[in-house]
Amino acid sequence: MTTVQPDVDSIDLSDLEFWTLPLEQRDAAFAALRRDRPFAFFEEPEIPFIEKGPGYYAIVRHADVEAVSSQPKLFCSGEGATSIANLPVELNEFYGSMISMDDPRHAKIRRIVSKAFTPKMLEALVADVEQITDKLLADARAVAESGDGTFDLVKHVSSPLPLKVICQMMGIPEEEEQLVLDQTNLILSGGDEEFIDDENKALELILGAGQALADVMERLAEERRTTPTADLTSALIRTEVDGETLSHQEIASFFILLCAAGNETTRTAISNGVYALHQNPEQKARWMADPELTKTAVEEIVRWASPVIWMRRTATQDVEVGGHQFKAGDKLIMFYNSANRDERVFTDPDTFDISRDPNPHYGFGAPGPHFCLGAHLARREISVAFRKMFEQMPDLEVAGDPDRLKSSFINGIKRLPVRLTGSA
Amino acid sequence: MSDPLRAHVDDQMCVGTGICEATAPDLFEIGDDGLSHVLKDEVPPELVAAAREAAENCPTRALSLTGG
Repeated sequence: MTTVQPDVDSIDLSDLEFWTLPLEQRDAAFAALRRDRPFAFFEEPEIPFIEKGPGYYAIVRHADVEAVSSQPKLFCSGEGATSIANLPVELNEFYGSMISMDDPRHAKIRRIVSKAFTPKMLEALVADVEQITDKLLADARAVAESGDGTFDLVKHVSSPLPLKVICQMMGIPEEEEQLVLDQTNLILSGGDEEFIDDENKALELILGAGQALADVMERLAEERRTTPTADLTSALIRTEVDGETLSHQEIASFFILLCAAGNETTRTAISNGVYALHQNPEQKARWMADPELTKTAVEEIVRWASPVIWMRRTATQDVEVGGHQFKAGDKLIMFYNSANRDERVFTDPDTFDISRDPNPHYGFGAPGPHFCLGAHLARREISVAFRKMFEQMPDLEVAGDPDRLKSSFINGIKRLPVRLTGSA
Repeated sequence: MSDPLRAHVDDQMCVGTGICEATAPDLFEIGDDGLSHVLKDEVPPELVAAAREAAENCPTRALSLTGG
């Protein structure tokens, strides 16, 4: 593929319109930054009612992302990890929970959650990932067969799958699932007008969405305190580390994090994965013929999709990375999508290769204490989703262009029309 | 003869991502405390490669190997 490399001076990562460009153009821009300006400085996007900060550096090379991520004492999360603008600390923790904390508070909460979130525990809790997927695929088939043969993959498969898994894990009743989905979409809408049409109302709407999720969780936590069940909420309430437990508020914040981090990400990986297989039919044929490829294929989908595009860190002191001198207080945005296409690390980075091995992608975050807690759950959900789709819908094909989320933060797909051709 | 190869988990760094358990299930286990535990006092020869891979891939740099 010969893509003309853009002029680095014309790249503005703070311009939301950049994030509406075709992916190939965005990737080409990041390739140019990696080559010519690996520590590009950008002004911060304007957000109504939030004071505009001093700007940020885009960290775009794999090695530099690793250096920043793996030194949490030099590059902290507590001033914000998911927002470029500094938010009031209460707001930050409410929405980000431990993702926007540093040790020792981060360690305390992460250890309590890790204890309730072990691979074995999940294995027991989500033995029904397979059942959930079977039911969703059957329902999606019914939609296709009762209509024109098409259905929206996002609406019927990639969105409800992780949502139902999380809700069942936490013990959220089925009738609240729609509310959880709607509020999560709002929180991570990233400036997409479909979710928030008036940016002046964004802050208010997002606050309301967080509160609605917190209300659901606090109600549930209260119930489980008196009547514990086998769900994760009950486990979170009773788990102690060094005599410390989580408060209701901490559980509510963790739930918001889990909804946001566990829904959008896996959804995005599945949707982008289906589209990548559509664009690379020989890869799809290989994988369908050889289930042994599932492990590497899932990693490649996560690399390719880079569901979470960036996380932020803030320098705690004057420090050098990759030959660049940073000052205390500088904001650094680690662009995982760019690290995942770094030609210094990946052979043919723009080739989707389901047997890629090794594949040291940062799709679950780079090394460090904030590495994705749900990586094993996500891997399992993605594996099951594709294996079941191959088994039960071998005739599934993409029927139109993906409708992409307008966001710099989540590489989302809002709709992906697919059809069952009936010939398999 | 050199010291036997041993694996160590730093409890302060480990957050139980489970990568080590997935890479070398005969050597590491995520316990009920959510942290990784080394199952064997010494790394047997057949697990040396897996142990090194696990240590290299630990996202929180909690694993180390000594001796060997």
